[in-house]
Amino acid sequence: MTGFTIGRRGAIAAGFGAAALAGAGPARGFERDGSRKILVFAGGQPVPVLDPHSRYDWSTRMIQQSVYDALAKYVDDPPQIVPWLAERWEANADQTVWTFHLVGNAKFHNGDPVDAEAVRYSFERGLRMNKGVAWMLKDVLPPENIAAVDARTVRFTLTRPMPSFLTFIPLWFIVNPRQVQANVAGNDFGEAWLTANTAGSGPFRMRRFEPQSVIHMDAVADYWKGWPQGEQRRLSGVIFRIVREPAARRALLQRGEADIITEIPADDFEQLKSARGIRPEDHRGLTTFAITMNTTKGPTADINVRKAIAHAFDYDALIQIHNGAASLMTSPFPEAIPGHVQVPGIPRRNLDRARQFLAQSRFPNGGFELEYVHVQGLEDPRRIGLALLNALQPLNIRVNIVAQPWPTMVARGSRAETAPDMVSVYVTPVSTDPDVIAGKYHTRAHGNFWGMHHLTDQQISQWVDAARVETDEAKRNALYADIQRRVVELQPEIFGMLANRRWLMRDYVRGFQYCPLRLTGEVDLHPLWIDAA
Amino acid sequence: MLRFVLQRVALTGLMLFGLVCITFAVSNVAPSDPAALAAGPDATRDMVETIRREYGLDRPLPEQFVRYVTGLLQGDLGRSIVTTRPVVQDLARYFPATLELVLLSMTFGVLIGVPAGMLSAVLKNRAPDHATRFIAVSLVALPAFWFGILLQLLFSVHLEWLPTSGRLDVATPPPPPVTGMLLLDSALAGQWGTLGGALSHAVLPALVLSFPCLASILRVNRAEMIEVLSSDYIVAARAHGVSRLRIICVHALRNAMLPTLAIIGLRWGWMLGSTVLVETVFDWPGIGLYAVSSAIAGDFKPVMGVTLLIGLNFMIANLVVDLLYGVLDPRLRTAQ
Repeated sequence: MTGFTIGRRGAIAAGFGAAALAGAGPARGFERDGSRKILVFAGGQPVPVLDPHSRYDWSTRMIQQSVYDALAKYVDDPPQIVPWLAERWEANADQTVWTFHLVGNAKFHNGDPVDAEAVRYSFERGLRMNKGVAWMLKDVLPPENIAAVDARTVRFTLTRPMPSFLTFIPLWFIVNPRQVQANVAGNDFGEAWLTANTAGSGPFRMRRFEPQSVIHMDAVADYWKGWPQGEQRRLSGVIFRIVREPAARRALLQRGEADIITEIPADDFEQLKSARGIRPEDHRGLTTFAITMNTTKGPTADINVRKAIAHAFDYDALIQIHNGAASLMTSPFPEAIPGHVQVPGIPRRNLDRARQFLAQSRFPNGGFELEYVHVQGLEDPRRIGLALLNALQPLNIRVNIVAQPWPTMVARGSRAETAPDMVSVYVTPVSTDPDVIAGKYHTRAHGNFWGMHHLTDQQISQWVDAARVETDEAKRNALYADIQRRVVELQPEIFGMLANRRWLMRDYVRGFQYCPLRLTGEVDLHPLWIDAA
Repeated sequence: MLRFVLQRVALTGLMLFGLVCITFAVSNVAPSDPAALAAGPDATRDMVETIRREYGLDRPLPEQFVRYVTGLLQGDLGRSIVTTRPVVQDLARYFPATLELVLLSMTFGVLIGVPAGMLSAVLKNRAPDHATRFIAVSLVALPAFWFGILLQLLFSVHLEWLPTSGRLDVATPPPPPVTGMLLLDSALAGQWGTLGGALSHAVLPALVLSFPCLASILRVNRAEMIEVLSSDYIVAARAHGVSRLRIICVHALRNAMLPTLAIIGLRWGWMLGSTVLVETVFDWPGIGLYAVSSAIAGDFKPVMGVTLLIGLNFMIANLVVDLLYGVLDPRLRTAQ
């Protein structure tokens, strides 16, 4: 007994001593697993839930997309929908019946085939759970309208035409029904189990899931879709590190503890993009930045005040704040969204016009204060608030810049009576369909964070509803052109800019493919590889 | 003694109930809709209602409170709307990491603070005393958030001596879980490389967390030592020829440690609360980080769970200090 105690103590002491040697040296570069490499990606957002039908945001979807497959996938810039689990599909004339034909070789990680029943089950599960992705299809696709025609054919019968149907398909991931059903507790659809476990067929399988800190995935050696970089070059796996502080992410990249980082402050990006061994990826994004104005109360309820503010705002400041890595919006729609038109007369800084509009308002001499709210802790919207404050001084309008936590800001903005005068809002469309942007100005948007303007315009709402079911592309685009012009005319927000999407990575990282439809820092991990000894 | 302990335990229960009332009230006064946030920005109203029903957020507040307290008595702290797991499970997962950090910080604080306080007292008003006091004041004044980032830049980026953040190198498999504390578990498993890695990750956050505690211990210990060293019994000990080292380390320190002990108890609770900042800077996956992530998402049950856990720890620490007072000071035992 004594001997054991002494031995243990001695060993612990040796371990502490070893810390100085073994632990103190920094990790260099990517991790290794035999002859293959493990890529390390650092981002700031945790992945609390793996269930693909329960939640999604950028980090969660990146992991979901790595572990699961969908019938189709978004790739490239501008975004394209390419076949994935489905090798082809067709729709009837009025686009109410969609038939998908599956590839024959897809299999789940446990070896079960990905068949039509798995697809039917997954869509039914998503719809019945009524969470996460359900909003995309729930109004047009009752669960009983999904049929597994045969082992490789699935048919969806919609209750009305929905031109955007296909644009949502890449966001519905297919789960293995056998694994999920074996882990259902009560009537939870297996949600508790799928929160921390996976049942997918994607290029990676989960090895270690620590939602607050580390997610380690192994590449599936015999992935049914294959590896675009070739079997020899494919990674052994990917580690997603959750590192909340931008300074810490930057340090990780500099030290070689991370191969890719995202969510990078503009100044850090400028400093590091030319550093030795680091390669920047800087691409035009789809995320719009706008300052919404409360159209129902206070001075901003007056359209002339809104127009005065929009014409006084310093748009160049938006670009400067992002060190040039942004482009001004030419319409309420991002340019990569089908149906986008450049709206003539979209406001740019013109103080004379601003004064003219203010003179026509109920406040011809200004003399009032507006509250500008941004998310606490975000530096760019705070700086934009300062630019706004500066820009409105010539109109004798004071700006009170208020930082609030995201939940508080959203809760305030959900009701017209409590919504702030002005709020900074970023919106990333989840699909290429223009409806996801046009819907921001429908009365149904009231209550959502992008509807904090509480704009009520029957004309816009009617056009949005009509465009949603219009299958003739020309007519649909004409409706969206009308919507864009009308929205600019009513000026519910200052139409700001599209900030670039940016990543910094070690120069040996290859295979990066940009697609603007991925959310914020999301990257397609499947084609990545490391070109280093 | 038993009566004293029972009284304190009963008082602790009352205080905990008060804490439950306050945290519940504060959580529900905050203008936020956790169901809407969990449902996501695109969710329709009925999707939000689905989540609201699932988590009982559609019930009147008094009913929610009664349910919460009833659950609490059965060891159920509710479910996190973000992670969808029971809060108890999440706390069991994250608390060992925090405990490990706090224990290590406290060890730093005591091992450095007590000797430094003694040294400062013995060399009163001389250069080492001034230097120690200056450092002590600085350590209290330094904001942990800022100082943590500075240390990261110095020791991780420039000197490359220590890792930047996390608990372990990402590719290192953690030891088999016994306590959840990596240092202890890797030692128990005989994984010395893992132990070294875990220690190198813990050094910076533990140091940052320990500084205010270290400074408090140092200052209190110094003041007490100065007072004790001038007392009659120390003069008597000197007159009897007791060695200077024995007087300082045995006779004086024992009495000077009583207030220091109280500080350690108070700082224990304070340190648990301070982990929020330190864990965020160093991405240390403990309850502080869990609380921050939950608060940002408007997820109140975890925030309440963490608050209760910290409160309970604080109360237990005070109870233990009270009991140790009795052990260290025979006069208190006699009085009871």
